[in-house]
Amino acid sequence: MEVCIDFLNWLDPDISVQILMYLEDPSDLVHVSSVSRSWRDFVIANGLFKHLCLRMFPQLSRVARVMELNKCRAKKPVEVGSSYSMEWESLARDHRVYATLAQVCTSFIFEDCISEAISASSTDHYPDESIHNTLLPAYTWRASYWSSEGQSNPAVPETLIYKLKSEFCVITEINICPFQQHLSSLHIYSSNSVRFRMGHPKGPYDLGSRHLGDSLPCNADDTFIWTYTSPEFPMAQEGCLQNFRLPEPVLCIGGILQIELLGRVQRHEMDGLFYICMSYVQVVGCSLSPTFCVEILEPSGTFVLKNDMQGKSYTPPSLPKNEAQGNKYAVEFIDEYESGEEEDEAEVEYAL
Amino acid sequence: MASSSTSVVVSNKEKENKNTKKVTLKSSDGESFEVDESVAMESQTIKHIIEDGCANNEIPLPNVTSGILSRVIEYCKKHKEAAGESEPSVTSYTSNSTTNPLTEWDTEFVKVDQNTLFDLILAANYLDIKGLLDLTCKTVADMMKGKTPQEIRETFHIKNDYTPEEEAEVRKENQWAFE
Repeated sequence: MEVCIDFLNWLDPDISVQILMYLEDPSDLVHVSSVSRSWRDFVIANGLFKHLCLRMFPQLSRVARVMELNKCRAKKPVEVGSSYSMEWESLARDHRVYATLAQVCTSFIFEDCISEAISASSTDHYPDESIHNTLLPAYTWRASYWSSEGQSNPAVPETLIYKLKSEFCVITEINICPFQQHLSSLHIYSSNSVRFRMGHPKGPYDLGSRHLGDSLPCNADDTFIWTYTSPEFPMAQEGCLQNFRLPEPVLCIGGILQIELLGRVQRHEMDGLFYICMSYVQVVGCSLSPTFCVEILEPSGTFVLKNDMQGKSYTPPSLPKNEAQGNKYAVEFIDEYESGEEEDEAEVEYAL
Repeated sequence: MASSSTSVVVSNKEKENKNTKKVTLKSSDGESFEVDESVAMESQTIKHIIEDGCANNEIPLPNVTSGILSRVIEYCKKHKEAAGESEPSVTSYTSNSTTNPLTEWDTEFVKVDQNTLFDLILAANYLDIKGLLDLTCKTVADMMKGKTPQEIRETFHIKNDYTPEEEAEVRKENQWAFE
């Protein structure tokens, strides 16, 4: 005869938390919260959705607090059977916001996330060979590329900095095509290896005041704070689109991405100097705006995670048929419901 | 000549004794289990008792019945053996079946009724045996994966204390997870 024990409340809380932390699928955690009042209270009290999101994106450890914007009129949160208090309300808010974040992260639509180029560490023949060229798709078959200045020392690195579509993006991979002088030539201006950093501007940063791809590079370390650094990836000396997949999807908080090009391999025959040139750059990921936005708190570098409850889930643009690169995923997305009314779920599939 | 051969025999015997030092564990229902000290020390709790010199050859475990204790000992023996066969530096098992050679054995080990499973969790916690605690907790989690709330209630005999209105409200809050 099976004994009727409500194990969640009967075991040590630490053990119950350990059990629930093995649930990686956000839907499972939602189902657990729906089992009974005490189970839901347990999930809220122990911040289990927050733990789930932190495991997916360690970058969230820098969240100072969460906020709900445009909260639906008169939609009282379900505070069933729990004593109302400031602390509880804070836990309940965390629960709602992180559950929404977990949901959004189950329905990604991946696309190129670069909004604009900010600057390059150096540029040859500005503006003809500016960083702006890296945003033009490779299939145009023009000799369009960014070039660094020449160096006699091959160890001198270069950096390219881009602004992403929003301040809150999940990035999965970066595709880069080094410039090959002629199709038949072996002169390929790749670098030895690449590394990626993500972060946010230090203090208010007016990107509009800078000319796109300005020949005077901003001093990156003074202007940006990097909160994520990827491992170093070797780069092939091939003039084709190379894929650099991050070991785990990364949450870019602040919307700034830097590509570090380490080590030069190609000399130019005219001056004998080493150059790095790139034809095309693509950053693949998913923007979590407008459902989510962030406010960076200086000087701590922590941030406020804001859930706009009336922000619709991201609506994908129609993808161009000859998209140069990019993995395609079949996904479904669900419209955010508003103020008590449920909208129909829409299922959209994107095939390659 | 004779004396030197005797001393060799003595030192071998000493070595033997060291290797098979035993300790006795006594369950809550009074049953005694003699096990190798090294196996018993898979439990951090027992390890501390022995190291503190409080062993006195018999260690009472009032929180563990004989049925559960015998299973726990079985687990510790098996895992101690496996650890002995591999490199000393490789002591932490992940739950990844490609790196953990005991995955199949572990899976069979936890095929028990719910009461036993929870008793094993309690014992693993009390005796501080990380591997066993991780294994049993993960097993409970696996029993919840992919199930609806009603199925979870049925599996674990949980009483649903929501009113139908409350339950509908909670479902609506995260409608996406119920599609």
